[in-house]
Formats: sequence, structure tokens, C-alpha cells
Amino acid sequence: MLKEWYEVRSPTSLPGPRHRAGARSGTELAHASSCGVPSAILPSTHGWPDPGKRTPAERLIPQRVVGVQHLFSAATGRPPAGSMATTAAMRAQLPARSFVESFSANARRFPEAPALIWRGEPVSYRELNDRALHARAELGKADIGPADIDTEPIGLRCAKSPEAIALILACLMDQRSFLLPTTTLPEHTLQELFLRAGCARVLNVSGSSSGRCSDRLRSFSPDPEAVTFMLTTSGSTGLPKIVPLSEGAVDRFTDWAGAQFELGVGHSVLNFSPLSFDLCLLDIWTTLKHGGCVVLVEPARATNTAYLRDLLLRYDVELVQAVPIFYQLLTQKDRDNTAEFASVRHVIVTGDSIAPGCLAQLPGLFPRARLYNLYGCTETNDSLLHEIDPTQAATGALPLGEPLPGVRALLVNEDGTIRNGPGTGELYVSTPFQTAGYLDPPHQQSRFVAHPDGADALRYFRTGDLVHRHENGSLTLVGRTDFQVKVRGVRTSIEDVERVLGSHPDLAEVAVVAIPDPLAGHLLHAETRRVPGSALNTLTLRQFCVEKLPQTAIPSTFHIADDPLPRTATGKVDRHMIIRFHERRLT
Amino acid sequence: MSHTQTITKFIVDEFLPDVPAESLAADYDLLSGGVIDSLGLLKVIAWLEDRFEIAVEDLEIAPDNFRTVAAMNAFIQNARQAA
Repeated sequence: MLKEWYEVRSPTSLPGPRHRAGARSGTELAHASSCGVPSAILPSTHGWPDPGKRTPAERLIPQRVVGVQHLFSAATGRPPAGSMATTAAMRAQLPARSFVESFSANARRFPEAPALIWRGEPVSYRELNDRALHARAELGKADIGPADIDTEPIGLRCAKSPEAIALILACLMDQRSFLLPTTTLPEHTLQELFLRAGCARVLNVSGSSSGRCSDRLRSFSPDPEAVTFMLTTSGSTGLPKIVPLSEGAVDRFTDWAGAQFELGVGHSVLNFSPLSFDLCLLDIWTTLKHGGCVVLVEPARATNTAYLRDLLLRYDVELVQAVPIFYQLLTQKDRDNTAEFASVRHVIVTGDSIAPGCLAQLPGLFPRARLYNLYGCTETNDSLLHEIDPTQAATGALPLGEPLPGVRALLVNEDGTIRNGPGTGELYVSTPFQTAGYLDPPHQQSRFVAHPDGADALRYFRTGDLVHRHENGSLTLVGRTDFQVKVRGVRTSIEDVERVLGSHPDLAEVAVVAIPDPLAGHLLHAETRRVPGSALNTLTLRQFCVEKLPQTAIPSTFHIADDPLPRTATGKVDRHMIIRFHERRLT
Repeated sequence: MSHTQTITKFIVDEFLPDVPAESLAADYDLLSGGVIDSLGLLKVIAWLEDRFEIAVEDLEIAPDNFRTVAAMNAFIQNARQAA
């Protein structure tokens, strides 16, 4: 059924294994051959097969292979036979390439290569660039300030779509800063965020496609300090922190990620996350910088396993980065057969607690892929990388791995001293990709600190993650220094959820507990006592939550009682008892 | 019990255990009311398939088909007629 739908919607077949070999070096070709791609269909490095014999999909692809190779070898500085780690490390030594210049070069050099796949249709680099130029022209018309381009930030309320990506590209080309909050935040929270970020305008994406636009790119000159992206933390308080990222930070990150994961022209990358998530800096923005093709998962169908499987197979996806729920969906036993995704070369899990049973199935599901645990925060972007040994994928907690090139990581004891040997401490990181600090009031700047010993002049971010260093030096995640858990990959503060629920006039007592869940990571349960005489029930309380909390922070289960919450001998709410009561009610 | 009552009972048992079934209107928006999220939706669909012996094609997992008890009821009727 799904297949037919795609064939109806997508008359031209899409990138197959053939097109992507064009930009590869000799080592990559060898890798591709070993991936089960018959070598006969891989074009030689001298050029493409007779154009007359190519399928429509292949005609989308650049033909001048020599030029493509030249561009990428010159641009990434990649040694012909260098290992990925070496390449990424070398990359860190070079000045960062500008995202905008790279994207524009892609649109000039291989205009017909697919940049995006959306609802079964490819969007080429030329089309995407045209749409971005059109969006720039539209933005320019609405500029009201005296300057050429308004300097006030723009608010973007964009669900995922090619139009939304074009609009962001337009902002990047104009070096406008833009706030890209999670669209599922409550309305008043969004308004508050736009206000606090000083957004002069808030734009929606209408979804209508724009025509070609003759507007030419005004001269762009990279400014590493210019703030472009402004992302938000998950903000379970209803007041997320705004994280401004500079052009330089994004350029450095997209250079590292492109080299590390061998992204290039024709390489397909799955984008599972919403557009506002920091993960998109890798799967959308790094891919577009390096000429690859982003296969966009429609948010409304993101929990549809058959749809996700079809995308992976149909578009020969090579890189997958997603929160654990994605892998849980793919590995859960259901009516569908368990397909293997042989095209995938890199599988990234993102530092979350992923169920060992799920992890153990990944090598079988992605037989040709290297598996990674990639740790990062919105504030610092990716910081630590661990390559998972597929033969040991099921054993114990996943190591966080080694700092990325240019990244410093410290373990800090409770008393503020540095822990050098084995033991547990809070993880501090400093990365070349990090924000200069929150846009929000100064008290939150305490999360950004100097080196505890003054050993260097870097700014460190206190992650709030408690990390254990083992005898062999490897690091694993232990927990949080605060009450935070991840619900469906979104960091959620239990205390903040309690505070919001506690503001309901009919609730006298509230305690929220996190219950481990194989699919979601954690689910929240709220134990509450209502004030005497109140008619509050779950239906009205859920309605209250919708207005105050992002979706992932709304507890999955509520218990509304008229009795006091259980307390420990010291008078604290007894969370263990609440969890036990809850479990008993479930059985 | 009508389908509507059966569905309402399931939704209430599963997501609103302290709410009397009769106070959940068939046209109450369960998605924007915060009753069912996308994980809850998977649970509801699995139950509908099982209880009403219908196969929910992956393409039909559009949230609008499951937004209200009435929508679910209509969805079941259509699925059964088509079968």
C-alpha cells in the first residue's frame, strides 16, 4: 500500500545507489563495493556512463565527476586515504568553510542533484536555492528599518517543509538572526519567547511553493560572530532558554560532521527530528552544506514504522541520527518483516538511555553500518563520540566516548575541584560549536563558567550530567545533578512540571515521578491531591497542561486523590512509595 | 454496547480513569485536549485493530481519524464496509 502510494506520487524514481558514487574517492568506492552494491553499476572515476543510458534519476545527478571530486577534496582537505578520525581532526585545524558559500556553490555546481526529499518528491539544489532567493526577496520587501536589512531577529513558526527550510536558508544568506522554537510549545510560551528574543516579526510558512525568482544573491561575506540560529532548550517550565548560535559555530560544526560522517554529493541522510531540534544541525544543515540529500520524515507520520522503513529503503539512506524512540519503533516486533537496511553506513544514537534489547538489534538491522553514541547539548552541540562495537552492543551502559576535535571535557567534583581519576562528577564541556551564552537573564549565565583551575581561557558549559569515569578511562552517564529525565528524547525537568501543576488553584499537593519506559525512555506520572470540594478530574487537568506545558512534559498518567501524598520520615514526598502505588494500580 | 460506548470506555479506562464515561463527549478533541499523544495514538490503534478486527493501514494513521471518539467510530464503520 505504502509502496503504491509512493509510486503514484513519485513518477521519477529517486536516487539509487548509482548516483552517489560520483563524488567518492577510491577508498569510498571500495567501501561501496563491499556494501553489496555491484561494482558494475558504479561509474568509474573517469566519468558517468553514456548519458543516453541513464535513468531519469541519474540525470538529476551531476555529470562532471572530475569537478565534483575537485571541489570536495579541495574543500574538505581530505587526504585520499585518510581515516575519518584523521580527516575530522585535520578539519578542526582549518578555518571553517561558510555554510552559505558552500550551499550556494552546491546549487551552482550540481543544480539538479536532490537536496531534499519531501512527501515522495525530490527538491533539487536549484529549486531549493530559488525558493530561498524568493524568500529573501519577500523578507526584504517587509524590512521596515532604515538599514538595508533589518537587524532585529525574526521569529519563525515553521513546521517541517521545504518552504520552511528555504526560509531559514534565506535568513542565513542575509545573516539575520532568527528564533526557531519548538512549534508544539503552548501559544503564550511562544509569544513570550518571541518577545524576549526581540523578534520584530514572526513569520509562518504558508506551505505554498514559490516560483522562480530572478533576485541575485547580494554579496555575502562570512561573519563568524554573527548570530544566526537561535534555538531553544526544551523548556518544561514553559520558559525555555534561548540559545543563540554564531555563524562560526555552525560553520565549524557542519565542517566537522561532514568530514566525520563522509557526507557528500548524492549521499542520503534521514532527518527524523523536528526542524527546531539541534539534531538538525547535523542531519539537515551539514547535509546541505556538503551537497547531500535530506530525506525528511513528516512529523505527523514519525511514529509510523512502515513509513520509516520505506523511507530508509526507498532512498538508500546512508546516515541516520535519531532519538531512541526511532530505533525502538524500527526494532519492535510487529506484523511487518524485519527488513535490513543495507544502504546505511552510519547509525547515530544520541547519548540517551537506549534499551539494551533495542541496541542489540541494531547491528542486525543495519548490517553495513558503523554505530555511534553521540553526546551533546543544545548549548554546546555535539561534544563526545563513541563508536559502538557491534559485537558488544548489548552490554551495560554505553560509553560516552572521546571528545571531538577541539572539544575539552572535564569531570568536576561537588566541591568544584577537578576529578582526574576514576569516579563520578559533573561533566563540563567546551566545544568549538557552542553558544556564547543564553540570551536570557544573567543568572542563567552561571551555567557557563571558566576552567575551575584556570588552566585555560575557554568557557565551559556545565551540562548538569553526572558522569562516571571508569578505571579504563571510559565515561558513562549516571544521572543528573537536577531532576531531569528524557521523555521521547526531550530533556524534561520533573521539578518544572511539578511547579506548573502546582500552580493549578485546585491542587493542594503535586509530585511527579519518571517511570522508565521501553519506547519513550521515561514516562511521567503525576500524583496529586486536590483541595477539598474540588471537582477537578484528569480531563480538566490535562486541558490545563496543554495550555502550560510542551507535549512531552505532560504526564502520561495522573492520579488525583483527596488524601495527602505519602511522605518520608523527614517529611519529604516519598517518591519511591508513589512509584510503588502507581505500579500496583497498573497491575 | 454501541461502538461509541465501547471506544469511550476504553479511552476513559486507559487515559482518564477518574472520569465518568458519560462526561466524555463523542466530539471532545482528545489530541488537542492532551488526552492522547502520539504514543497514546499507537496504543489506541492497536486496540481498535484488535477489538474491531480491522486492519489499520499505515497510510490511514492520520491523526484526524482518531481525534475524537466519533471520528474513531466513523473510521471503524468505513473500514468494515470496505472489508
